[in-house]
Order: sequence, then structure tokens, then C-alpha cells
Amino acid sequence: MTDQEILARWKEEPAPLLPVLHAFHARDGYLSEDAIRTVSKGLRIPLADLYGTITFYHHFARVPGGLDCPRVCTGPVCLQEGALDILADLAPEGATGMPCSGRCDDPVPVIRGHLTLAGRSAADLTARPAPLPPPARDADRECVFRTIREPGHATLAGYRRDGGYEGLARAVRELTPAQVVESIDRSGLAGRGGAGFPTGRKWRAVAEANGTPKSIVCNADEGEPGCFKDRALMDYDPHAVIEGMIASGYATGAHRGFIYLRYEYPETEHILAEAIREAEEAGILGPSVMDSGFAFDLHIRRGAGAYICGEETSLLNSMEGKHPFPRNRPPFPVTHGFENLPTVVNNVETLASVPHILALGAEWYAGLGMNGHAGTKVISLSGDILRPGNYEVPMGFPLERLLYDWAGGPFEGRTIQAVTMAGLSGGFLAGDDLFVTLDEPAIRARKSFLGAGGIMVFDDSRDMVEVAHAAMEFFAHESCGKCFPCRIGTQRLTERLAGEAGPDSLVAWVDEVADIGYTMKETSACGLGTAAPLITESLMRYFPEAVSRHVTAHGPLPMAGRG
Amino acid sequence: MSTNGTGPTIVLDGEKVAYNPGETVYEAATRHGKDIPTLCYDPRLEPFGGCRLCVVEVEGARAPVASCTAQCQAGMEVRTRSARVEVHRRTLMEMLVSENREVDVDELTSLASQEMTELVDRYEARTGRFRGRQSGASRPDDPNPFIMRDYDNCISCYRCVRVCAEQEGDYAISVKGRGFDTQITVEFDGHLKESACTFCGQCVQTCPTGALGDLKALAYRDVAGETKKTRTVCPYCGVGCAVDLLTRGNTLIGVQPAMDGPANKGALCVKGQFAFDFVQHPDRLAHPLVRGEDGELHQAGWDEALDRAAEGFLRVRERYGRHAVYGVASGRAPHEAAYTMQKFIRGGFGTNHIDNCSRA
Repeated sequence: MTDQEILARWKEEPAPLLPVLHAFHARDGYLSEDAIRTVSKGLRIPLADLYGTITFYHHFARVPGGLDCPRVCTGPVCLQEGALDILADLAPEGATGMPCSGRCDDPVPVIRGHLTLAGRSAADLTARPAPLPPPARDADRECVFRTIREPGHATLAGYRRDGGYEGLARAVRELTPAQVVESIDRSGLAGRGGAGFPTGRKWRAVAEANGTPKSIVCNADEGEPGCFKDRALMDYDPHAVIEGMIASGYATGAHRGFIYLRYEYPETEHILAEAIREAEEAGILGPSVMDSGFAFDLHIRRGAGAYICGEETSLLNSMEGKHPFPRNRPPFPVTHGFENLPTVVNNVETLASVPHILALGAEWYAGLGMNGHAGTKVISLSGDILRPGNYEVPMGFPLERLLYDWAGGPFEGRTIQAVTMAGLSGGFLAGDDLFVTLDEPAIRARKSFLGAGGIMVFDDSRDMVEVAHAAMEFFAHESCGKCFPCRIGTQRLTERLAGEAGPDSLVAWVDEVADIGYTMKETSACGLGTAAPLITESLMRYFPEAVSRHVTAHGPLPMAGRG
Repeated sequence: MSTNGTGPTIVLDGEKVAYNPGETVYEAATRHGKDIPTLCYDPRLEPFGGCRLCVVEVEGARAPVASCTAQCQAGMEVRTRSARVEVHRRTLMEMLVSENREVDVDELTSLASQEMTELVDRYEARTGRFRGRQSGASRPDDPNPFIMRDYDNCISCYRCVRVCAEQEGDYAISVKGRGFDTQITVEFDGHLKESACTFCGQCVQTCPTGALGDLKALAYRDVAGETKKTRTVCPYCGVGCAVDLLTRGNTLIGVQPAMDGPANKGALCVKGQFAFDFVQHPDRLAHPLVRGEDGELHQAGWDEALDRAAEGFLRVRERYGRHAVYGVASGRAPHEAAYTMQKFIRGGFGTNHIDNCSRA
């Protein structure tokens, strides 16, 4: 395609910047200066602004051939599984590291061009589908995984065979939008991306908000290290996501939807695109959804590598082609979302739950949980555990049972030293706190949170200070730079965990790390900065001896004086 | 402002005060005499919420909130100087000290250049804690004669980027990278001269750390004497921008925009901001000159000079006709002078060949 053909293809579409940049990136193998100048003119974005925005994203290559250079996952699990050896072996091909790319159940992923390879050594790398969730252990208590393992379920025919789109058909034909909202509200469904906001309340707020066109945005920017549940849902049940989005649109009066998909899932983009094509051909998407007269169009927007874009307001800025800093709230996206208009932003898992609730009823969903908690949660389990994978557990399920009964426990001769919560954002749980139930109140009582449901296991062979260092390095790498406490704090904590800077007296070291963490937690502008210090907090709580050894092991540091 | 006692109120440090609907907590508190620290705030710009120094405690809120982005709500109880927020402010200031090359910068660097230094001293933040790598990379390679780009002292408040976009509309600079590696840049990391920069100096004057500096003023840093500020109006065009002239003794050492100037509200252009050297330049015309028989210019009185000019104009008109004269009024002249000029050309010469340089 010529420059002008690319611009003409996307210019009149909503949220055109990312697709235009990806088109140039794919065509040229990198984003050249000429391409950036052309996009600046074509989309009327100031050149300096566009340049700055492009540099924000990890995966836009700026040198010729950059797109084809291997990018090796150096997430917490992959670091334990040979990522650094692979990186070294692929160095002649220009390999670079990338943050966790969501394949912790089948490490180590390497992205080359538009292809994901996986393997535990450079010689082993093969292109293969990401794993299906392991067989159900308590099939009657599953929601989003209820039908996902059926062969051919990702196709429209397979999805319909398994009862798909029946809930939506009844909703658009027999229920009013208000009744759909009411049903979701009663089910107790809450945001499964981490924030846990009641979905019904969100939908009602958008339904009642003034301003059109409204939008449904599916947050598929699954950037949290140790989380790979949305990938499984989209790869093996794309129509459930589509059905949930259409239902959300019907309930709120939105006629357009966007799936904001993280860069690191190139295969998933094809699967979603094919599912959308099938749904359009079948009249499920388009001017009259299932002949109901309700119109709904769906667009995929692919991110370019930025953890912060999983924060909903950064995501919206990214879609709008702006610098992806988080916005100040209020106002919230329900009234001032995409293009400042009412917008539902829901996680993949949340939306994929909707068809099941519509088909089987709010009471059914609410009843899936344990001890008074509603529904289920998909846990992405990985690390030093016999059977890693995505497990859908009833809310309130004991962590111990998940780890030992369902996932087989640690490797032979090993014991579980610690697990992370909320991917990395919840910090560590260890010791007696491993006997927690998987629900927010229980986990928050232990100064952590369940969040998006990523749990990484570290056995007694692991150096927890090094694990904490890698975690903080991730947060520092992903800090957007908008607010001072997070921008400087993540850097200073990383340096201290690396033994590169900081006091060599234990008391002073702990003081500094605690003071930085306290101010980050209380004053950061978004969840990244408030969550990152949970890493150091929990490290010092559970592993004070390891911290003490770390601080006293190194002598005076090169940066102990002002550099 | 509500003065009749019926308007909405908040409780500010224990005292019930009125606020204007839509006002932020920071605005209301400042209006009521509170001195809340901030480094990313510029009243002319959209609230940004970056520095977090303005956090206040709000009753019922789990964590302190940034007062610059929080809107007042009736009955809100706000504490602006509680021990809790003061601790965070001190930690934040210590963090800032740790990321910069230096805290103390010359007062001639820019209008806002002492803001960080003052807060560092207020919070006694020169403790040397939180040491580590420093952020930002200065650009001494940029050859422009006006703006010093000393990003070693940048704290990433983005006031420069925002004033360039929101006030000036130039969008010449932006934020490269992210996190601790953010860097203020123009496209492709080039020099300001090749960018959309118009050298208006807005970015310099709002920079609170001296990371951007006024090179013209800094050139006079060694001139002895106390700096005096004199409020006046920029002489360059008819807009009437208010400026403060900085002098030491009889030397003009710099120009700063007046934030309260009714016509410019802190804005200036490259000429008003940086082009003041002519005032004390040895080549500056200080009296009329007329060319003598010898072909050289000689000092003359006004009457003689004006007579010579009139004589020349009349000669041209007689020899080549009335349309041989073309008047261009200076953009520096106000409306009244421009009107007089066109009257002079139309009425005096009888031609419509009159224009104004601002049209170019």
C-alpha cells in the first residue's frame, strides 16, 4: 500500500492513529522519519507530539528491520525459564527483551515480526497455539470456561452449537435495555480486570449519561505480568467477547465497540478479526443485530506495548491518538470516555461472562461463588507449580486447594516460598497468608489484592530479593512519567533492590524504602504507582532476613554519594 | 464569589469558606490565603496533577487527593497542612533533589526558576536521601541563542510542553519516552531551530527549576548590582503586552513577561522576550541624521530632518506621479497611528498605496 492508500483506508474511521502506525510499521518493518512526517500531515497531529507519543510505546521499531528482530519475554516467570539464555543466543539477530507477554503457562514467548514462537531454549522455539485452559476440576462452578474446551468452539458454528448467541438473541428480542442492565446488576458481576467495579452499575451510568455516540471498549490490554487469562478467552472463545460487547451496547445505547488488544497477542488479533467477520456475515454484527433493528459495529485497535494502557483512561488516550498518560478523574469514562463521550470500559473476562449470565440467569451466576461471594474468577497460575494454566475458581475458593489439589503443588522436593497476587501489582503472599481464600476482602485483609487474578509461584530455590528487583524493574520500565512519586519512586526502589544505590546501613535502607513506598501509595496518580510499593512492603514483611543479607552484602555503593 | 452567605461552602482547615461552583480545591484554598506547594501548576494551563505536592487531606477519602484536580464539593472538609500531607511533600521534595544536578540556579534563568529552590528550602529537603541515577539529558549542542536546554535539572512537570501547546499553540516540544527516562524533546531529537518553535520563551519563563533558561538574560549574570524590575509595555507592536524590564544600574539585563498583563497574561513573542539588546547597542540611532554633500550621514535637528524628508517625497511625486509612493505602516504602531498613516498617504499623496506590515 502507498502512504496515501494507508491514510485513506483509516482516515475516516474512529481512532485511526494506531492502525495507521501499525500499517506503516508492517509495510516498512519500522517507523521511518518519512512515515512519521506523513502520518503527522495526514492525521493533522503535530509532529513533535506524534514523535513523543510513538516513543512511548515499546514495540514501535525506529530502525530499519526492527520489526523482525526477536523480542524475548523477560517477565518474572520467563526469567526463571531461560529467557536470558535465549536472549543471548538470539543476540546476533538483534534480539531485545520485552516485558511479560502473557504466555507464562507456556514459556518462553519470542515475538518475531507478526509471529509468536515459544520454547525453553533458542533451539526449541516453535510457533504453536497458546495453551487451552486445563480440564475443569469443578465443571458445575464454571462460567467463562463452561464451554471453552469444546472442539471448534472458536468458530461461529461451534459457538452456536454450544449455545452461544442464544442469550443475546433473547435479550435483543424480548428484553428492554433496562432489563439487561438489571439482570447483570443482580448477577453481582464485577469488573474482572482488577478494579472490581460492579458491571451493572457501570452500564446503568452509561445508559443514563447524555451524549452520543456512546462506545463499548473491551480492555484486552492484558499487560499485567503473570496474567494470560484474556488471551485464552479471546483465542478459544472470541464470540463470547463479541456477544458480551453487543449486549453491553444494547443495554447502554452504544452502537460502536472497540477491542483494545495488547500488541503482544498478534495471533489473537487474527482470531478476533475472523470472528468479527463471521459475526458480520451472519448479521450478528452490523446495522441490525439478529434482525432486532439494533445496530452495532466492532473495531479492533491494537496497542503497541505499554502496560499503562491497561489503565482505562490511558487506554482511551491511546485510542484517541494522544500521549497515553492517565487522565485525572473525575470525570469518569462512563460520562467522559472515548472522545469525551459516555463509554463502557470492561475487561475481556467481564464481557465474556455476560453471555452465560444472559443464557443461564443472574441467580445462577451469583450462586457460583462461595461464602457469599458472587460468581467466579479466572486465575492465571504460573511459575514453580506442576500444572500451570488458567483455572476458573469460584470466588472465595481457598488458594491452598488451587495450588495443591488443582495445580499439583510445587515440583518434587520443593516447597512454595511465596506467590504473587494480582499478577505483580498485589506484591507477595507467603507463610500463613498462603492459607487465604480467593476473594477481595480476604486478600485485602492481608494487604494485597486479587486484581486481575495472576498468581506466580516461587519455590524455595528462588532469591526473593532478586524476584522483587525484577518486579520493580518492570514497574519502573512501565511508569508513564506523569506523576512524580511513581516516576522517581519506581526508579529509586529498583536501584535499591538491585544493590546499585541506597544506604549501606540496614536501618537507613529500610527507612528510605518505606518512606518512598508510603508516599507512592498515598500520592501516586494511578494504580501503577499505588500498587508498585506492595512489592517492597511485602518483601520486607515476609523476608526481613533476605533483605538484611542483601543490604549488608554489598559494601559502599557507587551512587552512595551524589553522582 | 459568594458573599451573601447562601453559596456553597467547604471547610478549609477548620474554617467554613465559600467557593465558586466549578472551582478546584487548590483555587479555592489559594483564594482564601492558603499556601499550598506545587510545581506542575501554572494558573493559565489545564490542571495536570503531576507533581502531587498539592495533595490535601479530604475527610472520608482513603488517601490524600491532588487539590489542583479535585473540584470543590459542598461540605467537603479539607486539611491543607496536616502532618500526613507535609510528610509526603517533604519526601517528594527529597526525591526531586535526588534526580537533579543542582538545586540552586541563577535568578536570571527565568521568571519561575526559583520555585523549586524555595520549596526545597521550605521542606528542608537537602538531606541527601534517595540518591541514585539522575534524570534528563541536557542539550548543550543546541546552538540557538535564546533558550538554554539544561534538562539535567528537569523534573518532568511538563509545564513547558503544556504552555507550548495550550497557550502558544505551537506544539513544538513534547515528551519522549516514559518513566524516569522521559525527556523533553522536539521531533527526532533535533534542535529547536529546525522545529516548530517560535522562540516565544513561554517554556523558559514557566520552568520552575531552571532546566530551561533565558540565555540573553544569563549573558548579563556578571553585571554587578541589585536587579530592579520595572513594569512597562513592550515597544514592538500594538498589542500592548505588559513586561517587566530587569535592570542593574543603567544596564538592561532582561525582559520577563507580566503574568497579570491584561493583553498578554504572561505571553510574549520572540521579539518582546529576547530582542532587547538594541537598547544599549552602540549602533543605535540616538538622533536624526541627514546625508550631506559629502555622501556621509551627519547629525541634524528634527526640523531639518523632516524638511529633508518632505522635500524628497514631494520631488518623487512631482517627477513620477502620486502612485509612485507606497506607505507601509509599522506593526509597532497602535490603531491611531496606523489611521494617521493611511490619512497621510491617501489625503497627502492621493494614492491608495497603503499597507501595514502586520499583514505580511
